[in-house]
Amino acid sequence: MNETKTSTATKPILEMLGIGKVFPGVQALEAVDLTVMAGEIHGLLGKNGAGKSTLMAALMGILPVDAGSITIDGDTFTSMNPRDALGAGVAYVPQRINMMNPLTVAENVLAGMMPVNTVGFVAWGEVYGEAEQRLKQLGLVLDVRARVEGLSVADQTMLAIAKALFSNAKLIILDEPTATLPRPGVDRLFDFVRSLKTHGVAFIYISHHLEEVFEICDRVTVLRNGRLVETRDVQDLDTPTLIRLMVGEDVKEFEREQAGAVHGDEVMVVSNLVRRGHYEEISFTLHRGEVLGLAGLEGSGAASLAKGLFGLERRGQGAVQVAGRAYTADTPDEAFAQGVAYLPQDRYLYGIVGARPVRENVTYPILKRLVRGLGLINRSEERILVQNYVDQLGIVTPSQEQAVSLLSGGNQQKVVFAKLATTTPHVLILHEPTQGVDVHAKVDIYRIVSELAAQGVGILIISSEVRELLGVCDSILVMYRGRITACFPSGAPASTPESILLAIEGGTVHVGQ
Amino acid sequence: MGNLKSGNLFILLVENLIWVLVLVAVVIFSMMSDNFLSMYNLVNIFVRVAALGLLVIGQSFTLITGNFDLSSESTMGLTAMVGGLLIAAASTGGLDWKVNPLIAIAVMLVLGCLIGLINGILITRLMMNNLIVTVAMLLILRGVTYVISPGQSTSFFPELFNFLGSGFVYRIPLANGRYLPIPAAAIFLVLMFIVGHVVARYRRFGRNMYAVGSNRAAAEAAGIDSQRVILAAYIVSGLFAALAGLLEAGRMDSATPRMGAGMIFSVQAAAVIGGISLFGGRGTMIGAFGGVLLWGILDTGLNILQVSPFWVEVSRGLLLLFAVFLDATKARYLQRVAIRSALIGNPIGL
Repeated sequence: MNETKTSTATKPILEMLGIGKVFPGVQALEAVDLTVMAGEIHGLLGKNGAGKSTLMAALMGILPVDAGSITIDGDTFTSMNPRDALGAGVAYVPQRINMMNPLTVAENVLAGMMPVNTVGFVAWGEVYGEAEQRLKQLGLVLDVRARVEGLSVADQTMLAIAKALFSNAKLIILDEPTATLPRPGVDRLFDFVRSLKTHGVAFIYISHHLEEVFEICDRVTVLRNGRLVETRDVQDLDTPTLIRLMVGEDVKEFEREQAGAVHGDEVMVVSNLVRRGHYEEISFTLHRGEVLGLAGLEGSGAASLAKGLFGLERRGQGAVQVAGRAYTADTPDEAFAQGVAYLPQDRYLYGIVGARPVRENVTYPILKRLVRGLGLINRSEERILVQNYVDQLGIVTPSQEQAVSLLSGGNQQKVVFAKLATTTPHVLILHEPTQGVDVHAKVDIYRIVSELAAQGVGILIISSEVRELLGVCDSILVMYRGRITACFPSGAPASTPESILLAIEGGTVHVGQ
Repeated sequence: MGNLKSGNLFILLVENLIWVLVLVAVVIFSMMSDNFLSMYNLVNIFVRVAALGLLVIGQSFTLITGNFDLSSESTMGLTAMVGGLLIAAASTGGLDWKVNPLIAIAVMLVLGCLIGLINGILITRLMMNNLIVTVAMLLILRGVTYVISPGQSTSFFPELFNFLGSGFVYRIPLANGRYLPIPAAAIFLVLMFIVGHVVARYRRFGRNMYAVGSNRAAAEAAGIDSQRVILAAYIVSGLFAALAGLLEAGRMDSATPRMGAGMIFSVQAAAVIGGISLFGGRGTMIGAFGGVLLWGILDTGLNILQVSPFWVEVSRGLLLLFAVFLDATKARYLQRVAIRSALIGNPIGL
């Protein structure tokens, strides 16, 4: 191991060695090492799908690993369950803090060990006093009588860290803690984290905001495609180098042939769309047959924009035209009717009705058209229509009657595509279309996207997979803090993954400055 | 793949378990009593469960969307009482208006739909909890029934009004020169289950009902107006409760203020043991029909065997527990499958 000095690092609190994990069809992790010192803030970086979450799931004992060992503060585990991990002092602080929200700070701090008086009633005076004292020892000043749900997200995060420390955590995983924080909140959180660090608490810090990584981390470990790329001192790094480590030199997974070709008429014109707190002054034009990428971090507003355009969320002020007509849809049903379809990011929650068969999932939006006499659905016509899509999209399923939840992720996603395609949309909005599908299905999905574009559909892809966007899109818009800040035409010399990632980060520096 | 197949087999078995239970019950009771398998008794079972069956159809509609309608027994009681008041003479508890029976029936059905509409609006538009809303309605409607009756039964109705409950549509000649009359109630019950089945399975509304009950968010993202679907399910439930009231009033030739009281437990039990899931989105009308039959067979069978009514009550409770146990087992199994495929399909993102 390339041991490097950091001011407080003395002994390793965590050593993960040779961690491997295979999912059916996917090598999620291969021989990954991760060492974290006591009192260190260790950044864990990588694109979506690089293996960060899987590695952390292994560390928390949620996911059994196939190979490797985990040593926490001297105790070595080859298999670990969540209780082992907690007992060994590993705590996880998610981005969306999950505490007993309607209860007070004090009740959350002392949950399970509330002081009682001689007749067994809760001694509230003591509760508040003790909670306040415990927090103060950590340098955290909070109103212990306030309900947790009333605290700011920064305060909630700090409270969650404090709670972890009260249950003897030595290593705290912070997963995207700043994604929804305003800058002053970030500063307070970082001050708190730094003060804990001097007491020897170690942190694993996961973030897509690279500037913050430079601000707070001592060392970083970069993962790519489930493999360890490098562990380095932050001092020896700059942003372009870090991005290069994350992106790598691997080839594009898919290259659309028509990319850059001449397009048809304007099919969606968005002018000056504003929804306060979500996005500002959004204007872009999408043509028939064009594939437009929209890249942005969580909180950039790209996701809200997509949902707003489909009528799943409010859209705010501003004009939208679809196929030459004013677009007025406020519900998904109206959006389908006016020629806009949307593939949601969370497939299990919004994409599929898992318990129902493939056939039904495909025809939900167009059932009206299949209704015949007495209001009965024409089943044979429905079957033919669905079979058509099953064949065209290559959906692998024993039959149309198979419950969708029993299909593989890629095939589930194709079912969603079939559902959207039945509405013959003018505009198709895809939100992370390849998330959670294997490599082959990815290629299939981009082939479907290309075919739909060739048929004249205008396609908008929201994704954080810059390389994939570059392979399939004609141009890529970048959103940062609610605004479109850059446009990268595909094929232009400046449109490199590095420069796009930099723009996504909000950086103005260009590669090779 | 082998795993998935055996999983499907498990589901198939559990989903058709009701017919196995019906068969077992029939075999046991016919071995224990000679009278059980007589044509007369079999037809009688259908008549006895007819009102229950109609309530189960309505309940299944709301349950499939993932909502309870606990008020349906009171809706049944109230509509029957209103019908009785409209047509009966003053001497037999009515208002002495002697309304045309067909008009009285129309009023009852409209009233049932109206009650369903109110339930549905409170639950969908105002987002009130479906359990509590319908329990409140259960109390309110029963109270209103007592107020308007006031506390008295109405009886002696015209034949036309009673036809559904006590009329006969056909008399099958038997070998011994006697006739087996086929009651209208039995025919009507079977007919309504067929209608319910066709609506649930072959109409857009039915399809959407299952989608909303299985995954409301995804249904909405697929363009389904879930509020409208749930509202419609409550109206259907109200309508079937009114039909049950009509049938029961005709069968008894009277409407008591307590008609239907306590039936809701049998309704839930029959629906759930028939495979209608309390978690929404699962179960078929045919299965629910099996649940109703099983309930009727146990009732009649234990009656023929002269089992103490106290023990009948116990057996009903046990059956209800067993039904919910099956439902929970199925839900647990499906959850496990879902988690497994979620982990396999989506290794990234916890």
